[in-house]
Amino acid sequence: MSKYDVIIIGGGHNGLVCASYLSKKGYKILILEKNEKLGGLVNCASSLNGFSSKILGDLNIKLPKLNYNSYIVALHSEQQHTILQENNNKINFIKSNANEENQKKFSSLINKYKIYASTLSNFMYEVPPRLKSGKSKDTWQLINMGWKIRKLGKKNMREFLRVIGLNIADDLEDNLRDNTLMGLLSHEAILGSNLGPRSPGSILSLLYKQAIQNGLFASEKYDFHQLIPSLEKNCLDQGVEIKNNANVKKIITTNNQATGVILDNEEKIEAGIIISNADPKTTYFDLLGTEPLDTDFIRRAKNIRTKGNIAKLTITLKENPLIINIEKEKMNAKFIYAPDINYIERAFNASKYNKYNENLCFEFHHCVNVIVANIYYVPYVKNNTHDKEKLIQHSINLLKPFISNLEIENAELITPNEIEETYNVMGGHWHHGDFEIDQMLMMRPFYGSAQYTTPIKNLYLCSAGTHPGGGITGINGRNAAKKIIRDKI
Amino acid sequence: MSQTNISYKQPLLETPFHEKTREKCYAHDWHKWAGYKVVKQYTSAELEYTAIRNTAGVIDITPMHKYSVQGKDAKKFINKLITRNIDNIQPNQVVYALWCNEDGFLVDDGTVFCFDENNFRICSGERNLNWFEDTAIGFDVTIEDISHSIAALAFQGPLSCKILHMLNANKIENLKPFCFDQFTINNQEITISRTGFSGDLGYELWCDPSQAHEVWDALFSFNKDYKILAAGLDALDMVRVEAGFIVVNADLIAAEHALRPNRMRTPYELGLAWMVNLDKEFFTGKEALIKQKNKGVEKKLIGLDVQGDKPAVGSVLYDGSKKEIGIVTTAMWSPTLKSNIAMGYVNKEFIKLGSKILAEIYHPEELEYRKIWAQCKVVKKQFLNLERRNAVPALI
Ligand SMILES: Cc1cc2nc3c(=O)[nH]c(=O)nc-3n(C[C@H](O)[C@H](O)[C@H](O)COP(=O)(O)OP(=O)(O)OC[C@H]3O[C@@H](n4cnc5c(N)ncnc54)[C@H](O)[C@@H]3O)c2cc1C
Repeated sequence: MSKYDVIIIGGGHNGLVCASYLSKKGYKILILEKNEKLGGLVNCASSLNGFSSKILGDLNIKLPKLNYNSYIVALHSEQQHTILQENNNKINFIKSNANEENQKKFSSLINKYKIYASTLSNFMYEVPPRLKSGKSKDTWQLINMGWKIRKLGKKNMREFLRVIGLNIADDLEDNLRDNTLMGLLSHEAILGSNLGPRSPGSILSLLYKQAIQNGLFASEKYDFHQLIPSLEKNCLDQGVEIKNNANVKKIITTNNQATGVILDNEEKIEAGIIISNADPKTTYFDLLGTEPLDTDFIRRAKNIRTKGNIAKLTITLKENPLIINIEKEKMNAKFIYAPDINYIERAFNASKYNKYNENLCFEFHHCVNVIVANIYYVPYVKNNTHDKEKLIQHSINLLKPFISNLEIENAELITPNEIEETYNVMGGHWHHGDFEIDQMLMMRPFYGSAQYTTPIKNLYLCSAGTHPGGGITGINGRNAAKKIIRDKI
Repeated sequence: MSQTNISYKQPLLETPFHEKTREKCYAHDWHKWAGYKVVKQYTSAELEYTAIRNTAGVIDITPMHKYSVQGKDAKKFINKLITRNIDNIQPNQVVYALWCNEDGFLVDDGTVFCFDENNFRICSGERNLNWFEDTAIGFDVTIEDISHSIAALAFQGPLSCKILHMLNANKIENLKPFCFDQFTINNQEITISRTGFSGDLGYELWCDPSQAHEVWDALFSFNKDYKILAAGLDALDMVRVEAGFIVVNADLIAAEHALRPNRMRTPYELGLAWMVNLDKEFFTGKEALIKQKNKGVEKKLIGLDVQGDKPAVGSVLYDGSKKEIGIVTTAMWSPTLKSNIAMGYVNKEFIKLGSKILAEIYHPEELEYRKIWAQCKVVKKQFLNLERRNAVPALI
């Protein structure tokens, strides 16, 4: 008998959540994390927008809530910034160059998106149905999903079905005149995915994100730095064993059934169930290997799009930063620079050809004297050929015009290639795989591998690459655990 | 290579044998095959058929797709690709193989040539590079399309061995079926395999395009005494039906081509169960094939002995109460067997040998069809089983 019932490969937040749910059912669990630090990509993130309160409740974890009102600042090159505030899911204008009519239209557009997003959010906590399974349960679920869309009413449903295939730029240009507001919404729609504002499906990506994180900007609700330590403590309290610096090299299978793993140092550990918190492509190609997979399956796995495009910049300043024309009490804001649709689209265009232009977009937060920024579009490039010094300089140049006291003590940047290397995430992709209509719901990560299962018995997936997708939500880990519990009764 | 001569004026490639085949092609009846122009009929298909069954026929099969598979994992890769197990394959051996997709449907069939553990060649009727390369992901193999760099002739018929023997192909008569080796004929060192599509004694000759003319001429050098003929694809199609061989995209639609999923077929439905080795650790489609084997097939490709002498081309098949139960894929009058034969799919209730069914034949008669209800009996697909095909030493 092996010592463990379950091995989880990777101590990302989804792995930890999955372990917490399973350990509550009495499973004996071992988490193997490649790095010294747990949390995976959470270590790259700068804010905790969408973590599921439902999961916190289920696991009885109390994360300290932040008690300030968060602001969203859309930076403007002539320092005429737009300031919004999101409160209880409602967005107010604090300052804007847009006229009243535009502000009103902006609000009604957001309301429209909110209704659609809440339709989608019904699906987030469900294991998506299996296509073509022939089981009545799956059929019912599909019908149910259709019914929820139908419940929008005839007019809304028609509009919903019209809009989900569209690009966000078209919808924005139909409704708004203010460049900053259009840039801001575009930013939210495409961040983390391989889309530009004019890419079809960029509205869907916005709605979907909204549905997962339960709000548009989903400004920080919980103290970000407490998440991973709390999840870790929860696991340890329930007897989960966690091994750091343990890089899994291979998943062992016998007769198409997963039976254990082999570590880098050749140590072999067995367990009845193996769950991978690594992204699906890495899991199939590197950890499992293609040998026990059908050719068609390999083809679909190969075709998951996983090219990341976000670089993480961390700069330490001499003092706390000051932003020109922003009052001190609003400095806890999320700052976004995506000034207009065409600017973003141009940055995206370069990335399509694996280049970046100097006019990139970014968002950042600061914490005391440290600024953490997501810079995009910095494409994942084969062989990691970016000139890093130049890239850092370009990134700093982007921030410079807005910060009045930019005295830098230290600046670090990690490219998508480095994210890939450190966290073993193919392409360094935010979501472990693009977030488009063909890679969503029962098609996520791809047809034949949905529902957290794999063609290998007792091998499961729980990462951001599964339904509902990336971001720090914990939902993937929870859904996977539910699926496993259901399979094993 | 003639490849470079391709242009809008001459959109089809010419094989290295083209000068030779053109000379003999009185009918000027060409067929497009994999981008090449090859002969469909030289004079008449029946005449060429008669040569294959009574002397020998020479068929230009250069357009056949040929892939070289090399590397440390070559054997492992092929074992994952095909439904048979080639663990015990030896150098100089050939196996007939099928490969299926994840649902167990046939992607294509072909022959696998083993040069050594790390070096194989696969010959197939359809293009397969894409399928092979995707199957090879994660394996240490290099797959190369070498179709254009090898000229190939099928040399089939009772006199084929004799003529190769007279050309001093050393101990050719001892070459066993499904084996190949290097031989020298007419000063050309070439590869000869005892394989073919005729169900008769026969060989396939593989050479460099530069050797093509010498090889071709050599085969015809004893024609004063032995009338062998160049044969076209129509004649080849006749002999393969008698032998009960299937043709992908004629008797079934390849899984990669089919637009309608119910047109694809599994090895079990094709009556090729013996080609599937479910004991093998893994191959693409294994799960699906296990399921089908346990469940049994819904329909199957069978042979039919059709009453009368009118070929049941395209016929729909019925049971005694005229309920539709199947369809004919290929049909012909077999000159050797003197019988009217066909292959077709029938529902599972009728796959037993000896089952009686009806074929509705529309026989064209000078701008009108005569409708015939022909009695048929289900028989073995291998209509013709010639002893000389597998005899060792071969007939010289
Ligand atoms: C630059 C960047 C910024 C982001 N910013 C935000 C943000 O501000 N807000 C937000 O909500 N989301 C953000 N995201 C997205 C979010 O961080 C991820 O979608 C989410 O963290 C994924 O979590 P996960 O647990 O599914 O996977 P991961 O976090 O990738 O966890 C996988 C874990 O498995 C480990 N692992 C992989 N392979 C092996 C192996 N073979 N052996 C052992 N261990 C292994 C890895 O080290 C890692 O710890 C950002 C992403 C990036 C790239």
